[in-house]
Amino acid sequence: MQIKPILSALRRHKAGTILIALQIALTLAIVCNALFIVHERVDKVNRTTGMDERNLIAIGNDYVGAPETFAPLMKSDLQTLRSLPGVVDAYVTNAYPLRQGGWSTGVQTDPDSKKEGISTALYFGDDHALKTLGVRLVAGRNFNAGETQVVKREQQPGAPQIIITKALADKVFPDGNALGKVVYMAKGKPSTIIGIVEKLTSPWIENNYVDGDYVVIMPVIFDSSFQNFLVRTQPGQEDAVFKAIPPALYGANRMRVLPEKLGVRRFEDVRARAYEADRGMAILMSVVCGVLLAITAAGIVGLSSFWVGQRRKQIGVRRALGARRSDILSYFMTENFLIALVGVIVGVVLAVGLSQWMFTHFEMKRLSLTYVAIGVVALLALGQAAVFAPALRASRVSPVEATRSV
Amino acid sequence: MFSYYLQLGLRSLRRNPVLTGLMVMAIGFGVAASMTTYSVFRATSQDPIPQKSSQLYNTQLDNWGPDKIEKGEPPPALTYKDATALLRAHKAKRQTVTYPIGVSVIPDNPSRLPVREGAYATGADFFPMFDVPFLQGTGWTLDDDEKHASVVVIAKSLNDKLFDGGQSVGKQLNIDGHLYRITGVIKDWAPQPLFFDVPNTGGFDEGAQVYVPFTRAVDLKLPNAGNNSCVEEPGEGWDNYLRSECIWLSLWSELPSKAEADSYRQYIEGYAAEQQHAGRFRWAPNTKVRDVMTWLDVRHVVPKESQVSLIVSLGFLVICLVNTVGLLLAKFMRRAPEIGVRRALGASRKDIYAQFLIEAGTIGVAGGVLGLILTGVGILGVGLVFPEPVARLARLDPVLILLTLIVAIVASLIAAFYPTWRAAQVQPAWQLKSN
Amino acid sequence: MLKMTHLAKVYRTEVVETYALRDFNIDVKEGEFVAVTGPSGSGKTTFLTIAGLLETFTGGQYHLDGVEVSQLDDNARSRIRNEKIGFIFQAFNLIPDLNVFDNVEVPLRYRGMKAAERKQRIMDALERVGLASRAKHYPAELSGGQQQRVAIARALAGSPRLLLADEPTGNLDTQMARGVMELLEEIHREGATIVMVTHDPELAARAQRNVHVIDGQVVDLSEEPRFHTQPHVALS
Repeated sequence: MQIKPILSALRRHKAGTILIALQIALTLAIVCNALFIVHERVDKVNRTTGMDERNLIAIGNDYVGAPETFAPLMKSDLQTLRSLPGVVDAYVTNAYPLRQGGWSTGVQTDPDSKKEGISTALYFGDDHALKTLGVRLVAGRNFNAGETQVVKREQQPGAPQIIITKALADKVFPDGNALGKVVYMAKGKPSTIIGIVEKLTSPWIENNYVDGDYVVIMPVIFDSSFQNFLVRTQPGQEDAVFKAIPPALYGANRMRVLPEKLGVRRFEDVRARAYEADRGMAILMSVVCGVLLAITAAGIVGLSSFWVGQRRKQIGVRRALGARRSDILSYFMTENFLIALVGVIVGVVLAVGLSQWMFTHFEMKRLSLTYVAIGVVALLALGQAAVFAPALRASRVSPVEATRSV
Repeated sequence: MFSYYLQLGLRSLRRNPVLTGLMVMAIGFGVAASMTTYSVFRATSQDPIPQKSSQLYNTQLDNWGPDKIEKGEPPPALTYKDATALLRAHKAKRQTVTYPIGVSVIPDNPSRLPVREGAYATGADFFPMFDVPFLQGTGWTLDDDEKHASVVVIAKSLNDKLFDGGQSVGKQLNIDGHLYRITGVIKDWAPQPLFFDVPNTGGFDEGAQVYVPFTRAVDLKLPNAGNNSCVEEPGEGWDNYLRSECIWLSLWSELPSKAEADSYRQYIEGYAAEQQHAGRFRWAPNTKVRDVMTWLDVRHVVPKESQVSLIVSLGFLVICLVNTVGLLLAKFMRRAPEIGVRRALGASRKDIYAQFLIEAGTIGVAGGVLGLILTGVGILGVGLVFPEPVARLARLDPVLILLTLIVAIVASLIAAFYPTWRAAQVQPAWQLKSN
Repeated sequence: MLKMTHLAKVYRTEVVETYALRDFNIDVKEGEFVAVTGPSGSGKTTFLTIAGLLETFTGGQYHLDGVEVSQLDDNARSRIRNEKIGFIFQAFNLIPDLNVFDNVEVPLRYRGMKAAERKQRIMDALERVGLASRAKHYPAELSGGQQQRVAIARALAGSPRLLLADEPTGNLDTQMARGVMELLEEIHREGATIVMVTHDPELAARAQRNVHVIDGQVVDLSEEPRFHTQPHVALS
């Protein structure tokens, strides 16, 4: 295949060549970055929380009125919930993974330290918490029934026994053996680590408050009007329990509000809401990619068809001089390949540049080379596929065209 | 001549419907993508209170120290100590201290369930400062603030729910067991972004239905339903909380002139310096007094997603334009013989320019119409891509419609530039030498 | 009317310099019917395109209707083409998208004429060439001779002072060709100046005078008004 004549022919059709190459370059730049964003977001959305999210219902409850203490109300609600048919277990807390709101506090090993401590998410609960969440203990034990304390609003919670996540254990005690050690979250209130769970994530999906899967579970009932209940149902009973909860709770005590949107939710809805923005971004980027590739392909088809039309006589002459159909076909395919090659080279530069710019301005991760490679292959293939039909039509031009004068 | 060229243009477009369709679609999609994401971007970055945004200021001061804050940015809210001290100093035309409270309203009718709505504890100046529109009655007075009066302002939706939308000024409202007298009913008011409470809402929220005096809320120890950040333990109890360095209050001031703003800034610096001298702060004053738009910018209220998608869409539009340039080039140059004839018959280059630019313009109009329809669809579908509070704001209003059409036409004219230039360069002689 | 003195046209590529016309001299008076003849590649078509201001020239002078044209800008040249010159091409060069009426209308549109006047002139021109009944037809629906006549109507509609024809019968059969030539002679009789390029000696004979072009230069045969036929030699 003689490349030189093709190149010199292209030099005389600079405009069309530049346009196709430019389109391929720009499309590559955008598609690479867009697909990378999709991949990132999909990864994010698929992150596990460490708990068993099936058959789990989350309740956001506001007690109405201003009694001395809400503790008896909470205890009675727990009883109501635990005795509903189809319910395996339930507990009351301030927050849970994917809730997008909660408490964070610093964990120290040194009681008198002036420093910040490791920022950790704080979950309240009781001895039913682990079972309801469906998390696995890898060391130590669960809380005992008696260890759960009621803490008033104005007090600083600092329970004597806590359960932490393995990630936190490794962070605070890098040489292992976190079990049995003492840490401090509130002044003058030492907490002994009595159990370590395998994994549990913080309520936030971005790392704004907490730098990793650092979680402390405290056996505390926090005496305030706003509470979250988590209810685990038996498999297959989720729907029935979901419907039964509001009447059961309101029946027990009307002085409460279960807000419309966030009152009673299946955990899959909690997950969906938490990752709304990421899911949306992934969808948007995918659609943009798809449409962009389609438009670029259509443009290449259009422009190539035009060129073939312009060069009918030339093709006829070649055929008259002995070129076979396959020679004409491969001529056009090669020509397109060369143009596309220039396009992808420029495109790679643009893609990396765009990625770098987004990294500086929007703190997005930098493009991985795998994606660049995928993009290059995809666009070369797209170009070839798009030019195939016009090239085929070119190969069908009859040698008699050589003699036509107009 | 314009209508002549228009006729010619339309005729030419009809001749090759596939090519025309391709170009119209390219422009339509490109414009639609850009306009849809722009509508979201515009909604999230607009001035929520344009008539006053340069007169309203948020106050920040660093009460944690430079090693506890990031990049020299003071905490986003104030402590109780500082907020109330600055309020008492009366250094601005109007001021208010605000925090969100989590309260439930208990209806009179015992068969109705209690409702929880967004609620704020704030000052009497809140309503005139922010031009909050009233349907009935008025806000409460500064005197009511002084007296810690048990009054409340509610919004239309709540009024509809509880009182069937009737006259409710003077009626009593039971909030968590305490009675408050309604002084006024406002429209459902939620400027987007919710500039006065960005630290707690992220900027896009439905707004509150209940407003009570700050002084009364503190009396009743109504807990803060917003963000609470403390660098050291506040100690136990409400009083310790009020004395602590925990930040949870927003202080907004109305300073109509630049001079007043400057003197207010000086006062705040002076106040922080005082605290340093008194030993409370062991660092130099670090204060910020920012107007609405600056504050929104610093807090990055415009979601990253909406910026990124706007940029990607614009890139998409550029690619569609490049595509259109190629297709127009093909379309125009295919008619080189016709151009040659017209030139021979007396058309000047300008005439050729006019003819083909107008033809490109008609593609722009068609692309614009398609783009408009797709933008409408896009805005309906925005909820699939952006979170609800932001998606709600994207709207197809007359300005956006006009902008869509203009962008489409301008884009197609820009794309037509090079192809038209090539067309005008066609030498009449080349085309007519048939031997 | 049309006067060229020492006109030259050079085509330069990177490697080669080609003189399409060199020291070309011609003087066509108003009302003349001149045929420009010569072999292929002699430059007669180049002469015509320069005469019609379709191309620029590299040397010499060209006065059209008293005006020296080399200093004119594109707008001025376009206007002269539009108002003073009528073209008839070998390949008809009708615009396929437009019907007969619209094709004839094209030059009138560039003159900024009002619709009523345009219509009048178009119908008159079509009458002249005998195609008024086909005004709504498209070029594809007409025979070669009819298309050429439409092209002539187009050339005439603007009442040009000078008609330039390039092999006007080249693509027509004998009968159609005869019809076209008769039309041209009629137009000449009515006072038009016609310069016709042809390589057909029979056609050239019907003109008033012939100008012969070889290798870009004029070999003036104006003293011989008629082409000699070979004397009949009787063989006994």
